[in-house]
Amino acid sequence: MQILHVEGLTKYFGGLAAVSGVDLTVEKGEILGLIGPNGAGKTTLFNLISGTLVPNAGKVLFKGEKISGLKPYVVCRKGLVRTFQSCKIFPEMSVFQNVLLGALFGAPEKIAWKKAAEVAEEAIAFTGLSAFHDLPAGSLTLVNQKRVEVARALATKPELLMLDEMMAGLNPTEVGEAMELVKRIRDSGITIIMIEHVMKAIMNICGRIIVLDHGKKIAEGTPEEISTSKTVIEIYLGE
Amino acid sequence: MIAFINVLVNGLLLGGIYAITAMGLSLQYGVARILNIAHGEFIMVGAFLTFVLHTKLGINPLFGLAVAGPALFVVGYLIQRILFKTLKDRTPTPAAFEGSSMLMAFGILFMVQSIAIFIWGTNVQGYSYLAYSVYLGDIRFSVNRLVILVISVLICLLFYLFLTRTRAGKAIRAASQDPDAAGLMGVDINKMLALCFAFGAMMAGFAGMLISMVFPIYTTMGMQYTIIAIIVVVLGGLGSIPGSLIGGFLLGIFGAIVSAKDPGLNMAAYYLLFMVLLLVKPSGLFGR
Repeated sequence: MQILHVEGLTKYFGGLAAVSGVDLTVEKGEILGLIGPNGAGKTTLFNLISGTLVPNAGKVLFKGEKISGLKPYVVCRKGLVRTFQSCKIFPEMSVFQNVLLGALFGAPEKIAWKKAAEVAEEAIAFTGLSAFHDLPAGSLTLVNQKRVEVARALATKPELLMLDEMMAGLNPTEVGEAMELVKRIRDSGITIIMIEHVMKAIMNICGRIIVLDHGKKIAEGTPEEISTSKTVIEIYLGE
Repeated sequence: MIAFINVLVNGLLLGGIYAITAMGLSLQYGVARILNIAHGEFIMVGAFLTFVLHTKLGINPLFGLAVAGPALFVVGYLIQRILFKTLKDRTPTPAAFEGSSMLMAFGILFMVQSIAIFIWGTNVQGYSYLAYSVYLGDIRFSVNRLVILVISVLICLLFYLFLTRTRAGKAIRAASQDPDAAGLMGVDINKMLALCFAFGAMMAGFAGMLISMVFPIYTTMGMQYTIIAIIVVVLGGLGSIPGSLIGGFLLGIFGAIVSAKDPGLNMAAYYLLFMVLLLVKPSGLFGR
């Protein structure tokens, strides 16, 4: 079953097409990888899907319903949520307060305070942050700040989670743990799209990969197909 | 010694007004990113509303809490939604919005002030309410200033609880720390910005009502209070409610000490403090 369908999505910044005519579909329950060189338009594509940017052309369908043009907070409440490349946590709030915010405002329907607190506790335990429960989120290490973002996103009870470079800047052990976490999220029934530069992670956990370059989709396939594709190797290694 | 304690008490009693004035501006600038130069005009309107209700209709000035505050809340909400929201949608970057929103606030200042002059003229007005003193030993407390202190501390406290304990308060704090992330986590940012501006205007209404109880009022009084609010906000740290409270009291005491020497030096001393502060600690006492 398709959960997300993107058709001819295009965004211009000035005269430059940051994303141009991108089509993609995401099946429920899969982990889709999104790769490409810097400036390929990956984050812009995320911004267009999550409603932060309004596309110049094309449309985004989530669960069969058109969501392009809706405000980000509406998109979030419909069950599509994202994390950020550069951690966007609320630094002065505690970890719990950060996650509670997602549970309170991101839920599809208005949720009671007590229930929201339970949801937040669940997400904190799920991401292994219980030890940092009451610390200001800004005082955590990078890897834990990224987990706070994931926990906050999970607390909104999403059906589709978009992870933007969750593993950038992590050491190999931390990357391993992050991969584990992504798989557990998928196993809990949440569909995932992830932008990632850490190839090991992408090749290991994604069922399918899409490659972007200069705003266009240039390849799509299983990890094996992508890693042997001539066009992809040319783009990454040059000639 | 007694004289000094009297000065100190006076300062504390005034500090409450300063704190509320600053809290309003802090919300508008710290969260909604609008440096509302017209803040003092909202205060003036709050003061005149209270004055008119009291002198023309004989309504207790304290009732102004139920009139001036809510009335300005509505006005603030509409101004943000109609003017500043439109402006924000048309400015390309947040930095550009800060500049143009300040210019728009200047426009509002002149419009509100001119309308007020048209209605109420330029004479200095005032009324007296609870204008007598009680003594504790040798220390003198004027009753109206005591009432002001209690009310302003209560307002600060209630607002602090609102920000920390309620859904909307939580959304406002999130929006002030990172508006984009808050939006993507399901917070309706535009509504929160309008609410912040409206709460700021409501604080101005409260401050105006309190000011009218102890000071003469006039239609061009606004700028003086805008300046005081800016100084307190810088003193306490932008966006910090406890900072506004403590900063307000500090400036109140400082003002009272200067006034005891020569009341005419008051504003000059405030500016001096402001300059020193910007040079030495621009992030404020409690700023990030």
